Amino acid sequence: MSQAAGSAMHAAEDRELLRRFHKEGDVRAREHLVARHLPLVRSLARRYAGRGEPLEDIEQVGAIGLLKAIDRFELEREVSLATYATPNVVGEIKRHFRDKGWAIRVPRALQELNARMSSTIERLTTRLGRSPSIAEMASELEVTPEEVLEALEVGSAYTTLSLSSGPGGEEDSDPLESIGEEDTNFERSENRASLEPALHHLPSREREILRMRFEEGLPQTQIAERVGLSQMHVSRLIRKSLAVMRDELA
Amino acid sequence: MAEHVSVQVPLADEFVSVVRIIVSGVAERAKLAFEDMDDLQLAVERLLAEAGHEGQASLSFELGNGYVRTRIGPLHEHGLAEALQRLDRTPGQLTLAWVLDTVVDSYGVEETSGEGIVVRLEKLVEKSA
Repeated sequence: MSQAAGSAMHAAEDRELLRRFHKEGDVRAREHLVARHLPLVRSLARRYAGRGEPLEDIEQVGAIGLLKAIDRFELEREVSLATYATPNVVGEIKRHFRDKGWAIRVPRALQELNARMSSTIERLTTRLGRSPSIAEMASELEVTPEEVLEALEVGSAYTTLSLSSGPGGEEDSDPLESIGEEDTNFERSENRASLEPALHHLPSREREILRMRFEEGLPQTQIAERVGLSQMHVSRLIRKSLAVMRDELA
Repeated sequence: MAEHVSVQVPLADEFVSVVRIIVSGVAERAKLAFEDMDDLQLAVERLLAEAGHEGQASLSFELGNGYVRTRIGPLHEHGLAEALQRLDRTPGQLTLAWVLDTVVDSYGVEETSGEGIVVRLEKLVEKSA
């Protein structure tokens, strides 16, 4: 089969999945569409790698753009989903960087150090058989412990900022925008006692990570291995999820 | 002999990152492993998130032999002390008490005067780290 014929078939299959999702409410068709186009998201995300943000985070943001494209796609359109999704994915990623102001406010050296942090932690964890200390990380990275702490904080702070910025209009890139609407009319003290209602609103991966951390009591390193993410990413997802759940109930 | 670090921190959201840096600096001095430092940051962060957004709280650290003890307070939010007592580990439910119980080695309410409560969080330092 020629490449052109293959592309046409792929587009036709997309169109059928889009029809099933939009006309019949088939959410599995939507999931299928996401899976089919994740390579596109990864390819686009790689263009923005090396800017002080872990690639996996950029991919996650890009996936939100893909979801928006799928949800907003009008079947009457004469374009393929890939064509329609590309500017959505790129736009989402650009907005992510713009919202963070990363390139403007963070010195490049710190961005680069932050980007090296994740692999350093993994390498040291494997070598030592335990979570490394800050001093060990500093030694490995040939920087001071203070620089390690600064670089770690840079990543955490920006992640929190982008999440806690709240609704910023219809283009807002809240990673948890798939959260459904639900009346959470609880007393604050009750909310503190149980975050359960908001737990059900989290994406399944985040729910599973919280379950492993808090029900199974697994350390982040083991969770990271199980879900195929870096420890730093797991840490950020736990922090994000708890903050978002809290905000949901506030 | 234990060493002490104390700061007053505004409870406003904008100071969360400042608090995190303070906690990480103390954790580094105490030789906590990265993951334990992250746990302590999360515990402090979640607790402050429950303490309202106005006023200030005192954040004090005691760096002893093999432990870091953190005290946060006074916290005035109604119901916080009760919520910290409710360690109900029902699968599928995630409570503040459960979160703290997972990420620190021990915690408790130390003072319940009219000034508000002071919460103690204790993290042990792994000898190998």
